[in-house]
Amino acid sequence: MKDKQHTKPKYNMGQNVLFMAKLAWTTGEKKVILLSLLLASANVVLNLLNLYLPPTILSAVERQVSVSALLGTIALFVLALMAVSALQAYVQENTLFGRISVRSELIAQLNHKAATTSYPNLFEEKFQTLESRCLMATSSNAAATEAVWTTLTELVQNLLGFGIYVVLLSSVQPVLMIVILITAAISYGIGRQLNEWGYRHREEEGVLDGHLAYLSRCSSDPASAKDIRMFGLAPWIRELQEKAMGAYTAFQQRAQGVYVWTKIADLVFAFLRNGLAYAYLIRLVWAGSLDVPQFLLYFSAASGFTAWVTGVLWDLYKLHKQSLDLSTVREYLDYEEPFSLDEGAPIPEQQSNTPHEIRLEHVSYRYPGTDQDILTDVNLTIRPGEKLAVVGRNGAGKTTLIKLICGFLDPTEGRILLDGRDIRTFRRREYYQLFSAVFQTFSLLAESLAANVAGDTQDIDRDRVRNAVSQAGLADKIASLPDGLDTKLNRTVYEDAVQLSGGETQRLMLARALYRDAPFLVLDEPTAALDPIAESDLYQKYSELTQGKSSLYISHRLASTRFCDRILLIADGGIAEEGTHEQLIQRGGQYAELFAIQSKYYQEGGVDDAR
Amino acid sequence: MPAEKKPMSWSKAMSINRRAFQLLCRLYPKELLSKLLSVLWEALTPYVGIYLSAQVINALSDARPREELIGLVLLTLGSAALISLVSALLSMWKETQTAGQWHKTQQILAAKMLDIDFATADDPHTAEMLSTIRQNMNGGGWGLNLAMADFEQLVSTVFTIAGGLTLTVSLFTTQVPAGPLTVLNHPLTVLCVLALMLAITSLSPVLVNQAGAYIARYAGSHNLANRMISFYGRLGHNREIATDVRIYRQERIADRVNRDKEDTFGSSGLFARLSRGPVGAYDAAGTALSMLFPGLVYAFVCLKALGGAFGLGSVTQYATSITKVSGGLSGLIQVLGQMRNNASFLDLIFQYLDLPNAMAQGELPVDPDPGKTYQVEFRDVSFRYPGSGTWALRHVNMTFSIGKRLAVVGMNGSGKTTFIKLLCRLYDPTEGQILLNGTDIRRYRYEDYQKLFAVVFQDFKLLSLKLGENVAAGSPYPEDKVVSCLQKAGFGEKLAQLGTGTETYLYKDYEKGGTDISGGEAQKIAIARALYRDAPFIVLDEPTAALDPVAEADIYSKFDEITGSKTAIYISHRLSSCKFCDAIAVFHEGSVIQQGTHETLLADTQGKYHELWSAQAQYYTAS
Repeated sequence: MKDKQHTKPKYNMGQNVLFMAKLAWTTGEKKVILLSLLLASANVVLNLLNLYLPPTILSAVERQVSVSALLGTIALFVLALMAVSALQAYVQENTLFGRISVRSELIAQLNHKAATTSYPNLFEEKFQTLESRCLMATSSNAAATEAVWTTLTELVQNLLGFGIYVVLLSSVQPVLMIVILITAAISYGIGRQLNEWGYRHREEEGVLDGHLAYLSRCSSDPASAKDIRMFGLAPWIRELQEKAMGAYTAFQQRAQGVYVWTKIADLVFAFLRNGLAYAYLIRLVWAGSLDVPQFLLYFSAASGFTAWVTGVLWDLYKLHKQSLDLSTVREYLDYEEPFSLDEGAPIPEQQSNTPHEIRLEHVSYRYPGTDQDILTDVNLTIRPGEKLAVVGRNGAGKTTLIKLICGFLDPTEGRILLDGRDIRTFRRREYYQLFSAVFQTFSLLAESLAANVAGDTQDIDRDRVRNAVSQAGLADKIASLPDGLDTKLNRTVYEDAVQLSGGETQRLMLARALYRDAPFLVLDEPTAALDPIAESDLYQKYSELTQGKSSLYISHRLASTRFCDRILLIADGGIAEEGTHEQLIQRGGQYAELFAIQSKYYQEGGVDDAR
Repeated sequence: MPAEKKPMSWSKAMSINRRAFQLLCRLYPKELLSKLLSVLWEALTPYVGIYLSAQVINALSDARPREELIGLVLLTLGSAALISLVSALLSMWKETQTAGQWHKTQQILAAKMLDIDFATADDPHTAEMLSTIRQNMNGGGWGLNLAMADFEQLVSTVFTIAGGLTLTVSLFTTQVPAGPLTVLNHPLTVLCVLALMLAITSLSPVLVNQAGAYIARYAGSHNLANRMISFYGRLGHNREIATDVRIYRQERIADRVNRDKEDTFGSSGLFARLSRGPVGAYDAAGTALSMLFPGLVYAFVCLKALGGAFGLGSVTQYATSITKVSGGLSGLIQVLGQMRNNASFLDLIFQYLDLPNAMAQGELPVDPDPGKTYQVEFRDVSFRYPGSGTWALRHVNMTFSIGKRLAVVGMNGSGKTTFIKLLCRLYDPTEGQILLNGTDIRRYRYEDYQKLFAVVFQDFKLLSLKLGENVAAGSPYPEDKVVSCLQKAGFGEKLAQLGTGTETYLYKDYEKGGTDISGGEAQKIAIARALYRDAPFIVLDEPTAALDPVAEADIYSKFDEITGSKTAIYISHRLSSCKFCDAIAVFHEGSVIQQGTHETLLADTQGKYHELWSAQAQYYTAS
């Protein structure tokens, strides 16, 4: 059965097994390989002991050996069983952690790739598809990146067992062995075909599964509790849950209706195989070439052999599936980087008297998959130390402009220069260091407040942290916390973490940007969650905060623009108007219009105009 | 060392497990029945094979007639096939019933969240409890799912023991004929052998359970590690925050956390150390000990056979069935230990499910007729959030009636949103009363009272279901009314762009083909939902925060149309909105410090309102 979902995987099964082995070897987890081999061997030895125990003892009874000889034989077996099974249990208990560490290493690599990959990659469909598969492949102990060790262990074990039993059985009844091989293979073939049904329908199952998971999630989310109550949503949600569960169960019924045939095929072949084994071996007993204990040995060996063969076949099938996932992980890690992240020219040192200048020359940008530029032929120079305001309607391209300046997007046409040199030639990761930013969506770390301000858990300069916090107006709040700056953030990780309000979080993000003290300060709607007095406070302090830096301030609140040297109004794919507040008001264009709309209600008599 | 948990007493543990079983039985009787039948069949039928195979060997070694042997073999093969067939059919049923197990237990937890008082749902302790329960369930497998599995194993082991014993009674009763081994017939010998068997069988799982108890004991640190890895392992994968992550180079911290081998699960971590030490040792010792059992059984059985008590076939029959009994006994003791370890996790689930609904449920009906007159009065209302020492509202007195527009202003944290929550009866006042037309609101039927309000909360949530269903808060919905509400809320333009109109799914959580909407668009949909409800009171908490100036002005200019003859309560940091309200209440540190119209309040140049207004208006007025 060909899987149409995948194009041919980039790496094959052998390459992927080697990849995992190398990964374990080089990350200090050699024990993963050694323990797996040890476990496989112990299991085979246990199997052999259990195979030989009954017939050996039966034979002793049949031969009427002495009591002491009988007890001696039993004792020998028991001692061997105790030793090997103790080893097996101990190894089994200890296999888990190295395997988890190897998977964690992959989680770390995938996360690192995602956190540093060229920004536009994040929005490519192929990248996203690979990413979601990678996350699945590393999500649990049962996911491919960890379960592959179990598969490999079992495969080694089944191959070892298979080899030993071949030697054992071929001496007595090669025909029986071949019949077993054939029936097991047919049985596997049928089972695999039917099993593919689940694989082919996994998207359908995923959808039904997703519905149930979403409904449970949204109905138990405390953040939705208000709306659920005020709009009386509970009965409707319950009804949806019931329907979703019905659909899910119906799907499972169909699936099980298919899978049951695997078991039916198995029992038919088992009937044939065992019938044949009985027929052969009983004949041999009648012919006098086997005694009864030997009959028992070979009969058990025949069913044991079936298990090894079936095991090998299913392990290869599992390994094939897991190898597809491993290949996905590797393709994601290899994903091509359009940006030069760590190679290229170093960022020039900033001279204290001549700060950096950024210049946009004929810059156009078009989002992939769209047929229209969002920005066309933009020319702009951010002079050293300048305070720029960027205003415009939702969707006008303000954020795109900021992303171009910060180096998250490369222009479709034109170029962006830092101190006269195209930013594409610099090491991009170093280029990002030029910016301190408060974006609208931000990433709070599950760490202390101090670490969040400093952006790291190590080498925190606590004096500078305190300074930044008080500049951002958060000092009182932090003083009110028992653990002060060491208070943890993020309640989903730490139960004793503090829950900051929207306004407090915004101030914390501002403190982080200030601590950073980079040459460019970028603020995207930093006052949306602040009350009028706090908002006004920030405006008053703006000059002080931006001392010696260039800054970009994006806001819907046009009041903020008063404190900037120059205002850019973004509209119709470019900078429609630019100048100071006074210049733009005088000009009577779009800016003046926006300002009039917003200030209307603050003017005397504005209400009557509105009605 | 992280916090440890002590196992609870046997009687308490078993009664909690019984309660879990009763709960599952009541909710999912079919699943339980399918499991019961399947387990019974699987536990008992192996003995048929054991008995018949033994007969085959006896017949072989006794050199019975060939026809008899052939018949026996055919019976063995036929019965095995038949048993497998029934097994397959039973397991088909069982698997169908069991497949949704995980979702079912999630639903039990979610259903409670739908039912409890808002105050309890909003309490961070409830969220923490629920989160711990889920982590126990997903990380360690503890909780209701395990209780279900334990029930299965309990039944299985009990019947395995019972079935095996019936096949082995004759082992003890069959006498060794006169000879040197007659000592085996002595009741004391039999008793000694039985006692030894029992001792080995029970000691081994006790040791293994010791190992399991370690894992249960450190479940807290287990959960913390899982939370850390799901936070830092996914940090880079969140596209929303990708710019922030890059600017602040957060991958450095993530790399350190994700590669930390000292982490609870890491190869140098707590569980790894425990496994190299006591857990591994207990496990190895328990397993090794259990191997004494087949040795003892073989010794006893073979000695009896050597003495001539029975034939070779019976040796295999006794040996295999009594080994199964032993396995059953071990399993039984193991499952009992597991039930005990699981009990503290079940206990937490029941603590959650038993959270009481303390809100008074009134009897009086309310007629949500928009034409009717309503008057709401806050009479000396004070409120403290549960578990908090500070007053969120203190001595609030306020009256407002139908048709008026009330603006509520104040600084962050001054109590504005709390006031709304009390008004909507999401919380009851700690002191004082809220009256509707002179009657305490607690005396009205809860659902009826809430129908009086259409609210757009600051942190409102839409469901990832159809747009129309979101607006109408249910399904099916009248298309015309939904569209008209969306248009009034300023969503008309966007609606026209959506190919599937009101049938469009919002976001991508429920339907992959759903549409992602911006914060501003979501706000408009939330306003449309409030309009659709057509309630006498409409409450808007920061409804324009995510909108640009033009869209904001659009909502303002339509405010009359939106609110119509209803009572509107409007909370905003943008004080410009106060101008078209009839009355303004200024909140400060939990109290209403000023009430009046825009003009009267502004006239008081020393007042808070003047301060707030000026802070904002200065940028828009004086040039």
